[in-house]
Amino acid sequence: MKKQDVLGLSAMPLQSPTFPRGPYKFHDRQYMVITYITDRDAIRAALPEPLEPAGDTVSVQWLDLPDGEGLGAYAATSQVIPCVYQGKLCNFISQMYVDNTSPLAGGREIWGYPMKYGKSVLKTATDTLTGTLHYAGQQVATGTMVYKHDNQVPDATKEGHHLARPQITLKLIPDIDGKPAIAQLVSVEFQEVKVKGAWQGPARLELIPSVNCPLADLPVRGITGGLHLVTDMVLPYGKVIHDYLA
Amino acid sequence: MKVEDILRLPSMPAASPSYPMGPYRFVNREYMIITYETDAELLRAAVPEPLVPNADNHVLYEWIRMPDSSGFGDYTESGVVIPCTFNGEPVNFTAQMYLDDEPPISAGREIWGFPKKYAQPKIEVCSDTLTGTLHYAGQLVAMGTMAFKHQESPGGVEATAKHMTKTSCNLKIIPDVDGKPKICQLVAYNLTNITIKGSWTGPARLHLVPHVNAPVADLPIKRIVGGKHFVGDLTLPHGRVLFDYVKDQAG
Repeated sequence: MKKQDVLGLSAMPLQSPTFPRGPYKFHDRQYMVITYITDRDAIRAALPEPLEPAGDTVSVQWLDLPDGEGLGAYAATSQVIPCVYQGKLCNFISQMYVDNTSPLAGGREIWGYPMKYGKSVLKTATDTLTGTLHYAGQQVATGTMVYKHDNQVPDATKEGHHLARPQITLKLIPDIDGKPAIAQLVSVEFQEVKVKGAWQGPARLELIPSVNCPLADLPVRGITGGLHLVTDMVLPYGKVIHDYLA
Repeated sequence: MKVEDILRLPSMPAASPSYPMGPYRFVNREYMIITYETDAELLRAAVPEPLVPNADNHVLYEWIRMPDSSGFGDYTESGVVIPCTFNGEPVNFTAQMYLDDEPPISAGREIWGFPKKYAQPKIEVCSDTLTGTLHYAGQLVAMGTMAFKHQESPGGVEATAKHMTKTSCNLKIIPDVDGKPKICQLVAYNLTNITIKGSWTGPARLHLVPHVNAPVADLPIKRIVGGKHFVGDLTLPHGRVLFDYVKDQAG
């Protein structure tokens, strides 16, 4: 392969790039967001400077992504910490688990989404919207929410405001000598968000301590509520808002 | 989390880094390598300039069992390696690699540019046959078989250990947050502290199935050269940049 073609590759490996170029369009991207109260000290420790905490609630989210253009069908579980950057309310993605290499490698390498391989499932089990996460063979998280009890949300777009906040990730890529090559805070804002359904309702969340999947390090002190969303959206490239090496 | 702590993190996520700092020690690492001859033009297309593919058009199809790997755990790997030269020096270029464990996928890609994807490789002794399989997205894409310990390698474990010191090389590509190339390099590394505990050669066969996202069959088999089987301990250290495509383009 010619040198100029090497520079045109979207990703490794040369013979079959793991992910194509963005932006990435998602159809019927479904969320179950369970918001809970946790310890303020644990939030402070989990948020990288210069991000500042915004209250004492965080969320664990299950995502079902049946049609991610360029990425395929997969599911994800993430932990999200609301925070403030330069006076603006943002969501810091502190942990994320997926079961598909394309978004895993693309997520880490483009934006710094902190993805590891975990088996996440979001499904409707009889009357219950149910999310589970297995890591290294063990169940580490279970979330449950009533199924579409509140079907009269007057303005579904309001629920989309949750998705309108910038997402912040901490992108870390080592150099070949082990020193940091990239250490940045990256901001991503979804585009063309279309909320196709939005429901709120009671929810419960169980997090089990596991060293390599430490969702339970932000312990559950009380449940604020559940949010169930079905959306279409576009995930564009991001921008660097803070460079630790500059 | 303070800035000095962030800069000391070995990897993402900050809450639980995927992999620690290297070097990485492997104990009882077991290889089955089936060498075959392929098509010269297809081989040239699969090798990035300025690497030059070997004149014999040989390809190494590998299975590697890694039951005890510091920082990474217990996993198995399978993939395609192409002997090449860089400025006349023999190097092994890793073209494709498939494994069943996320930390070595992420560390492999992010530190050295190993072109790793998640799949289900397996190597086992099935009655009289050393057998390797690779499933990708639910489908069998490679099956290799070798006679089990029929013949000790010429030169024994010492010759195999010496061969393992050969320079290996990868194409490391990391995009920037806007999708443009941020890192685009040929990187090289050399294994260290190598102890080979057993090494065998023997007849082998290899079956590769066309698959778009695990295109191991894109370098077709014209002739099987032979099989190698060996077990040893070794250390994978950090490496060095051989060639930087971004700097080269900038002149």
